[in-house]
Amino acid sequence: MTSLRTRAITAGVIWAIVTIVLALAGLGSFMNTQATERFTEALETRHTQAIVAVSNYGESPEFISRGMSDPAFDRPFSGLYWQMEHEDGDFYVSPSLVDTILPRPQEGDRANIVRRYDGPGDDPVLAMAQWVTMANGDRWHVQVASSLDTLSEDQAALRSNLLTAFAIVASVGILGASAQVTMMLRPINALREEVAARWDEEDGLTPEIYPVEVAPLVADINGLMNRNRDIIRRSRRQAADLAHAVKTPSAIVRNELEALSGKGLEVAEAINALDRLDGQLKRSFARMRADQGEDQVGTYTDLDVALGRMDRAFSALARNAGKSFTASFPQGLRVRMDQNDFEEIMGNILDNALKWADTQVDLTVEGLADRAVRLTIADDGPGIPEDQLDDVIKEGRRLDSSVPGTGLGLSIASDLIVAYGGAFTLGRSAELGGFSFQMTLPTSSAKITPQNAQTDPSAHG
Amino acid sequence: MRILLAEDEPTLANQIKSVLNTEQFVVDVAADGAEAQFLGETEPYDLIILDLGLPIRDGITVLKNLRDGGNDTPILILTARNDWTDRVDGLDAGADDYVTKPFHMAELCARVRAMIRRKAGQSSPVFSKDEVSFDSRTNQVMVDGMPISLTSQEIAVLSYLFHNAGRLVSRTELSQHIYQYDGDRDSNTIAVFVNRLRKKLGSDLIETVRGRGYVIKAVA
Repeated sequence: MTSLRTRAITAGVIWAIVTIVLALAGLGSFMNTQATERFTEALETRHTQAIVAVSNYGESPEFISRGMSDPAFDRPFSGLYWQMEHEDGDFYVSPSLVDTILPRPQEGDRANIVRRYDGPGDDPVLAMAQWVTMANGDRWHVQVASSLDTLSEDQAALRSNLLTAFAIVASVGILGASAQVTMMLRPINALREEVAARWDEEDGLTPEIYPVEVAPLVADINGLMNRNRDIIRRSRRQAADLAHAVKTPSAIVRNELEALSGKGLEVAEAINALDRLDGQLKRSFARMRADQGEDQVGTYTDLDVALGRMDRAFSALARNAGKSFTASFPQGLRVRMDQNDFEEIMGNILDNALKWADTQVDLTVEGLADRAVRLTIADDGPGIPEDQLDDVIKEGRRLDSSVPGTGLGLSIASDLIVAYGGAFTLGRSAELGGFSFQMTLPTSSAKITPQNAQTDPSAHG
Repeated sequence: MRILLAEDEPTLANQIKSVLNTEQFVVDVAADGAEAQFLGETEPYDLIILDLGLPIRDGITVLKNLRDGGNDTPILILTARNDWTDRVDGLDAGADDYVTKPFHMAELCARVRAMIRRKAGQSSPVFSKDEVSFDSRTNQVMVDGMPISLTSQEIAVLSYLFHNAGRLVSRTELSQHIYQYDGDRDSNTIAVFVNRLRKKLGSDLIETVRGRGYVIKAVA
């Protein structure tokens, strides 16, 4: 669809063209009329001058040209001519006519006759002619003519001036329209930026700060974002309820089977099937969670809160296991992720680390400059040989089946990290010598700044 | 050792209870959160197993209320929810450990024993005093390496005294920890069990502080 800017500018340009064409037509016609009137007035003045010349020099007509002072009358075919004709038939003409004469009107009245005809050299002229009677009773036919070329030149010069002026007006108009469009579109651009920035915020947009024309749209976007969050929250709750509903009966069946097994009955197949059922359920819920993560909007996790919780929980679990857990993270970081999902990732990775650690699990967090947070979980356990690193994130893969677990933890964690646009690397911890899980998660725009992310991490745990 | 099991699903509760009974634990069952909190506040338990999805009052609330009331009994949470958030909620509210449903009964029992042992400050599952040893995992008692057969009440008394070694335990306290809530609590029978234990394990193991109770002194 055509952009608003293109629409506004196109409409502006079309409107400007229509206005300019109409103005050119109107103003051009007015100025043409003005030029013609001026031309006619000049001709009249010359005609009057010619009458005065005849009246002054009528007694000795060879001097008439003295009364016609314009040098153009002397220049051959200059376009400005006079012609005096005595009623006796004597002819006196301006030197500019050279050897031609101007045609005389047929009628013999005394009216001042203005005519247009082709003059010397087929040059169209406007001529003014009149029979005048002098004080001594002589009658003269006095005629002046002026080439219409000068009028056309005047008119062309006027048109050109007019076009230049309108071109300037049009340019200023287009620039003004662009500026106006930019200014008018500013709230829309601001909205776009705000939506992008607030997409991961709970608080939504503020319709009041937008122009009244845009405010309803802002309110609608808020509604959409809330609806999206609600849908995810609801489906997550339903999934959790379903998990809850299925797991207790599953636990009962398992216990019955184990009791039967204790009595020497052959139930290995049934237990095996139940294991598959439980595993499948866990995998399905993990997948559902990861799928929802991809489309999540409006969510973020305050690491102060979430890591504080993980710190307390895993300190307790480490104490139970006779191991130690430390977490160090700078304050004020946020990641663009649902808190449940963040805790799911951290829980699975930390649980795995604690299971394998000899004595120590460390969690370190640092804010990166490019809107990301890096979390590293390291232990002092045996670590994983490099050629098996890829295997640990495969679903159901357990590197040591003697240690209890489903083999799903790291797979669930890695799926979720990727679903939220994060990345992870597995390796050996340089500090503790065991397994190291390092992940980079995108931060939520609202809170992170490179400054607060990288200053003086305060130790916890 | 007396355990409070708060689980609203009666079949699962009975299964857990019967397995714990065979492990010589005495178990009271609470079917909802209000009952669980009441029993937790009024009865001396050695461990509480708390399902988080309880009716009337949810497990997290019960947990918080117990901890806020100064109860420091080890609490193991059972959660059927899939996510870590539930477990972290529980641990953050003061639980000591968690087991997720569906679980293996053996794992649950191992956690229960380990938690009770940790509360006693004992890292090894085997308690020893002179020539007598008690394996808390199997309830097996040996004297000079020879297995000795004990009744469940005798094991309960011995286990409680070993877990509280070095501390004087009154008959009332013993009876509170070896009988369940609705059981017949006759503290005089405690003397009978102690006498039998002395006959089987030697008279030096359990010392009587007249009029106050019993004590097993420092164990290895």
